[in-house]
Parts: sequence; structure tokens; C-alpha cells
Amino acid sequence: MEVVAVVVFLVALGAIAFDWAHRTKIALLGAAAVVLVGVLEEEQAIEAVDWSTLGLLVGMMVIVGLTERTGVFTYLALRVAQLSRGRPMRLVFLLSGVTGVMSAFLDNLTAILLVVPITLLLADLLRISPIPLVLVEVLASNIGGTATLIGDPPNIMIGTARPELSFIDFIVNLAPVAIVTLLVVTAGLALAFRSQLRIAPERALEVDKLDAAADMREAPYVKRSLAVLLGTIVGFFLHAPLHIEPAVVALTGATVMLLVAADNVEEALERVEWATIFFFIGLFVMVGALEEQGVIDRVAEGFADLTGGDRTAEALVILWGSALGSAVVDNIPFTAAMIPVVESLQADEFDDAAWWALALGACFGGNATLIAAAANVAASGVLDRTGHTISFVRFLLVGLPVTAVSLVIATAYLLIFQL
Amino acid sequence: MKATTLHGIPLVDASVDVSATFGDAARVLSGSRLSGLAVLDAGRVVGLFTDEELLLALSPRYLDELRHTAFLETELPSLRGQATRVRAEPVREHMRKPVTIELEAGSLHAAERFVHSDEGALPVVDDDDRFVGMLSRTQFAHALLKRLADD
Repeated sequence: MEVVAVVVFLVALGAIAFDWAHRTKIALLGAAAVVLVGVLEEEQAIEAVDWSTLGLLVGMMVIVGLTERTGVFTYLALRVAQLSRGRPMRLVFLLSGVTGVMSAFLDNLTAILLVVPITLLLADLLRISPIPLVLVEVLASNIGGTATLIGDPPNIMIGTARPELSFIDFIVNLAPVAIVTLLVVTAGLALAFRSQLRIAPERALEVDKLDAAADMREAPYVKRSLAVLLGTIVGFFLHAPLHIEPAVVALTGATVMLLVAADNVEEALERVEWATIFFFIGLFVMVGALEEQGVIDRVAEGFADLTGGDRTAEALVILWGSALGSAVVDNIPFTAAMIPVVESLQADEFDDAAWWALALGACFGGNATLIAAAANVAASGVLDRTGHTISFVRFLLVGLPVTAVSLVIATAYLLIFQL
Repeated sequence: MKATTLHGIPLVDASVDVSATFGDAARVLSGSRLSGLAVLDAGRVVGLFTDEELLLALSPRYLDELRHTAFLETELPSLRGQATRVRAEPVREHMRKPVTIELEAGSLHAAERFVHSDEGALPVVDDDDRFVGMLSRTQFAHALLKRLADD
């Protein structure tokens, strides 16, 4: 049975990495297999699903989806482009910053799906190639998402799995290193791409002509939606002192949003990406099978042998190992499997440094390859459909050095401040 | 003898062969005064080329990806280049899945097809599935009105 659990999980990881079928189909098939074969009882399968993670995801999808409708994020993206006044360096830093901040407080996939099409338009108006700008945005979204509990799927999973780590803990421990990394990476990319980003002054005037607030004037419930989004973010900051789980904050926010800013509930709930939710369910069941069969404990033991139980070695191996694992497979399944491993390592005492190492590794590792994070896959999809294909290798040539630099910064941060 | 009417409404012979280019299809479409035409392979309908395909092809390809568009009031530099590029492309890359109306069926069938497909014109096919002609939704609706008035 143990072998079955391992084989199902590894085959599923491979199938996702090689894109044999939609990742949700693969995860659900894997989950069905472990339950049908009897590796996991039905009740155990249901217990294996982390419903808090799903609640947090669904809540945020509703809140962000309905706020997105107001055009406020489009406004932000267009305004920063106008503020750059045709100066390429300024444009790169502002787009990187706005994508990073949106990724931290919405989620990085939404940020990318919103910013990339606008960037294609901007590049068209400015008569420059959109590819460097889109690359900067994708990398910024994965780095920005690292900064908060809700920014990136790995953080959402870690935050809901470990109630000891609050929203503020994530910000205090991860935002500073994310901001430094974002600045360093953006500066490097701006320098690397500067020859491709020459903008004629008269083209910059074209961007100024865009009426950035036009959509917000037409959209319904702009103020209400924004108030609920901001209220929810405030709720996240207060969840620990109020003893409320982040999932409850998100679902309460979503409920208020449905009450005050949605005329049609069915339409509003279409904003939930059910494929992603079912992907997580399948994944949790497969990982549950690994736990049940003792595979996770054995991996943790092997891990402890490797590091000799040394705290510093452990955190650094988690950081670099997670980055490598996330680069090769998707960072979501990798994190789902790593969470119980880290839990098992910490059977005796809770140590938050290991969790920050996992978050930094999985999120930063998402930048290494085109398939490492959902935002990368989404951006490459938009580019494909609009005739600007970016190859696996071209992404790798930028993503790999960016990841290496990010991990060096993260290593220094962990060594100086956490270990 | 090939039928050229459906319930007394004239059908328009607006079609291109699947081997045609985008430019050919656009020319036939603009001459037909219909919102769409049939793309045929050996006389059978394999696709529909409508003014929406025309608009999408002549607009920047990211237009479809933009979540919000009210701010767009500007002319884009890429438009002319886009039009030149797209002209020689095969029409098969710019067509959608067809919905057809059967020649022998009643007018409720045609009404259902228009309501559920949301197309402004649909190809009518015979028993052999061969293309007979395009039926305009406007003409069909007006004919139904007229029939009601006559009754």
C-alpha cells in the first residue's frame, strides 16, 4: 500500500509537470485511485482535505473577482504607466511594484491575468516588445506573493496548516525580504532589458491619452466593493488578536461582498475557480495517503539524518530543496507534500524559521521555470494567444538567475535574522 | 432544382471554400450584407465566418484578453500592420463552429437555432447536409411578423 501511495503521487507530479492532462483531472484521478485501491479509507480522505485552505481560496476568489469587476486594478495599472512618462526604467519599476503589491494582497494569478493584457496594450502604444515587461511582471508577482499569508498558494497552505503563524507574522517575517528581493531583481532586469525598452517621447503621449478611470465610472458598486476588500485586509491583520481563522475572515468578507455588491449570486460565484479548488482537494487526498502510509514520516527521518538535526542546516536545506522541487514540479503540490514533512520534523518543538524557509523556497522557486507557478503558466497562455510566444528556454534564461539571486538573498536573511 | 427560399424567405448564396484566405472571406462578407457566411468543404458547411471574426482579426489580439476596455479611445499603431498580416491567412484559422438550419424543418426549428446561437445569419442545409444558402435573422423575424399580420 505504501508503494501505491508513492507511485500515485510521483506519477501525478510527473503528469502535471509534463502537462499530460489538466492538473485538476490528474489530481482527482490520483485521489480516486488511492481511495479505490484502499490506501486511504473514505473518511480519512475527507479528513485529509484542508477545508480552511479551500475556504480561504474561495472567499478570496469571490472578493477579488467582484472587486476586479470595478476596474480599479485596471486603473492602477494604467496610472502607473502614465506616471512613468515614457521613461523605461521608471516604467519597469512601477509595473513591477504594482504587480508585486497586487500579488501580495489579492493573489498573484489574478494580478497577472489583469496586468499582462494591459501591458500588451501599453507595449503596442509605446512600440516596444511586451516580452521584457511581462517577464518582469511574472517574476514580480511570485516575489510579491511571498510577502503575505494570502499572496501565493504555498503561503495560503502554510498559513492555514499552522495556526500559530498569523497574517502579521507572515508580513513581519516575509515582507521585508520580499521587498528587498523585488527591488534587487527589478533593478537587474531593468538593466538587462534596457536596450529593448527605448521609448520615443511622442509615443509616451499616447499612453497619457488613455482615460484610466473610465471603467470605474461605468462599473456598479465600486465604493462598496473596495470597502469590503479593504475591510477584509484589515480583518486579516486583526485575525490573531481576535482569534478568528484567516479562512473565516475571507469567507465573511465574501459573504458581505455578496450581500452588498452582487445582484446575482450565481454570476458572482462564477468568479470562483472551481478547477483550482478541485485540484487542491485531489492533492490533499494524495498527500493524505502518503501520510497515512508513513511515507511522510520516513521522508522526514531521512531529512533529519541528512541535516543531523542541525537547525540551520535544516532550514537551508528546506529553502533550497523547496525551490528546486517547486522549479521542477508545480509549487502547489510540492508545498502540500512538504508541509507534513516539516510538521513531522518539528514533532518536539515548533520553530517558525523552518516555515519561513519553506515559504521563501516554494514561492521564489516558482520563478525558476515556466511551469513552476500558476502565474507563469497563465502569463505564457496570454502571450501565446496574442502571438508573442515565450519559450521554456527563454523563460529559464531569465527565471533561473532571478531565482538564484532571490535564494541568495533569502539565505542571507534566514542566517542573519532567523537562525 | 436547388431551393433558394425557406418558408418563402430568400436565402443568400454567401459562402467561401475552406481553402479561401481571410481576405477572400472578408470581401464576400462585405458584398453579402449579411453578418456571416458559410465556409464549405466539398459543399458541406464546416465553419462560420462572421463580422465578429472580422473585428477580432482586425483588432490587436490582446483586445480579447483585456478585462476592461472603456478606457480605450485611442487609435492603435498596430492596426494597419495587423490587417496586412491577416489578409493572406487561411479562413480556416478564423472561423467558428457552425450551427445549421435544416431545410425541411419548420419555422420553430429556425427560431430555436437563432435564439440559442445568437448568430445574425445561419447556413441552411439540405437532407444531404449540403449548403443551400444563408438565412438572415432579421429577414426571418420580419417574415414571421408578416405571416402573423396576414393571418
